[in-house]
Amino acid sequence: MLTVTSLNKTFKSPAGDVTAVRDVSFSTKPGEMVAIVGASGSGKSTLLSLLGLLESPDNGSIKVDDMELAGLDAKGRTAYRARKVGFVFQQFNLIPNLSALENVMLPLEFAGWSVSERKTRAREVLNTVGLGEDKVLRRPAKLSGGEQQRVAIARALVTNPELILADEPTGNLDRKTGERIIALLREAAGQEKRTVVVVTHDEKIAKEADRRLEIEDGVLREIA
Amino acid sequence: MGSIKRGVRNTFRNTIRTVGVVTILAVAIALSISMLIARDAVSAKIASVRATTGTTITVSPKGFFGFQGGGTPLSASKVTPLLALPHVTALQETLSQRLSSSDTSLTASAPSGQLGQQFGGGFTPPVRVVGTNSPGTALVGGAFGGSTEEIVKGTSFSATSDADVAILGTDLASANNLVVGSTFTAWSTKITVTGIYSAGSSFANNNVVMPLAPVQRLSNQAGQLTGATLTVDTLSHVAATTTLVSKKLGSAADVTSTSQATQSTLSPLNSVQTISTYTLVGAVVGAGIILLLSMLMIVRERRREIGVLKAIGASTGSIIRQFIAESTTFTVLGSVIGAGVGILISSPIASALVSASGGSSPGGGFVRRDGGFTGGGNGFTPPSGTPTGSFRFGGFGRTLTQLHTSVGWGTLSVAFAIAILVAVIGASVAVASVVRVRPAEVLRSE
Repeated sequence: MLTVTSLNKTFKSPAGDVTAVRDVSFSTKPGEMVAIVGASGSGKSTLLSLLGLLESPDNGSIKVDDMELAGLDAKGRTAYRARKVGFVFQQFNLIPNLSALENVMLPLEFAGWSVSERKTRAREVLNTVGLGEDKVLRRPAKLSGGEQQRVAIARALVTNPELILADEPTGNLDRKTGERIIALLREAAGQEKRTVVVVTHDEKIAKEADRRLEIEDGVLREIA
Repeated sequence: MGSIKRGVRNTFRNTIRTVGVVTILAVAIALSISMLIARDAVSAKIASVRATTGTTITVSPKGFFGFQGGGTPLSASKVTPLLALPHVTALQETLSQRLSSSDTSLTASAPSGQLGQQFGGGFTPPVRVVGTNSPGTALVGGAFGGSTEEIVKGTSFSATSDADVAILGTDLASANNLVVGSTFTAWSTKITVTGIYSAGSSFANNNVVMPLAPVQRLSNQAGQLTGATLTVDTLSHVAATTTLVSKKLGSAADVTSTSQATQSTLSPLNSVQTISTYTLVGAVVGAGIILLLSMLMIVRERRREIGVLKAIGASTGSIIRQFIAESTTFTVLGSVIGAGVGILISSPIASALVSASGGSSPGGGFVRRDGGFTGGGNGFTPPSGTPTGSFRFGGFGRTLTQLHTSVGWGTLSVAFAIAILVAVIGASVAVASVVRVRPAEVLRSE
């Protein structure tokens, strides 16, 4: 379960301080898919960075299963990212000179799995997201956009994290493929009782989520 | 796949860049290795020349130079205190005299021949007696044509002996039918033969070697010397000690050391050594800069990828290892190619450097190591003195270009260390850049 309380983040710039996240509080249940919508520059990506510990909050609290994350040091944040959270990016961000299988094996390497375990687990998850055995050894450039995003989702799921953070996961995909990806994320949330937080500006996608939150000028509010 | 393997694979992500970086590195490393080999070869040459030069200073009477010279004998009271000078470890004093047929019962063994006849009609080589306080090395040197006197029969005498004893060269003893225990006459005094020596040449083996004191006494030259040789502890002290000895003896003596001539002869090699050192440093720094800029470019190009790796749980350490592996792979490839090329071109480069620095010109004439032949008097006088009478014709110049370049484990170890240094320099910037990349950048740039 994810619990966020009074989270704040301000960036300093020559033009003055910019508050990207302002007193944000919310919580999610296991197996729940939450959509965060908002315009560009509203602070949704910053909120996602804070939840994934890619950024440190100025103040406030982030708890996953009652474990406080906001005060973790660099080593603790790295360990959290390796084991407790999975990221899905809009531009897939797969490593171009590694095969689909090797891309999915990466988080397992960082989490300390053995090579043989990595291969078995990565193949298993790739098959789960619908990437056939004939494609697991292909490099990203030899896969379609939808297939690349499936690989990215497999990479996010492979360590069986409690939290999946997806930043515009359908932004580079056609509508039909996007719907399949969202369905995949929903499935991932439901089957393993993990929380999926999806940042999107696509209302159709947002409506597929269990809950919708809107962020505007760093302030988050629930949409009924 | 570990971070090291990933780094090695990343080396080949961009073929054109890999070929470019490896080629430039190979050129720099080839230059480094050839300079290293050339430098080692030149250093070995300098060391060998210096080793043969020795650390001796020769003192002879002013103007004393064999047939052509004259001069007044040195005073032992001025020469002997030189042993107390700093860095002087030994002092050999000599008094050499010619013995005419009226002075001795001995007959010279060496034929006059055509060369001897050049000195005057009816010339017969005289017998020379060398009084020394350093038996065993009295005949060393080119003009004697000899080396250390090796006793082949009997015994030698002590350095401080005052007895009327002598050791004779094998040829002289044979020509006069003398054996150990025989006697001969010199300055109307009976001299006992205690030993027979061989010094490696007919000329050297036509001498009588006696303790210094009886020669001074019997020839009525008490307290006089015709030569002295000082041994200095290290080559670096030779020049200063030579100056000091000259100052002590003033205008009465010629003071020379072979190291002076050697230093000027070796100066081209020293220049080559300096040039190769600077070029080596320059090539290493150049290779380091090439790799540094390449890795900087690569890291900048892969900022997003670094951010992704950090976002999915990679530690900064594992990413640093990946880039160090990539940098090291570039360096290893460049080193392997560069080492091969460097070994091939090292010999011609070393020779070209020596030639360009003037080392190919023949050395000037000869270097006189000591007093050589006694001056004045009647006709020919054989070379005199403790390791005196030594000439080195032709100098060292002719042999300076004969450099032997070789690649030993030592050189390869240094080259390997240089390659690692280059890799570390190159990777250091990549490491610094990796540390600065924040994983959030990967989201912000989307």
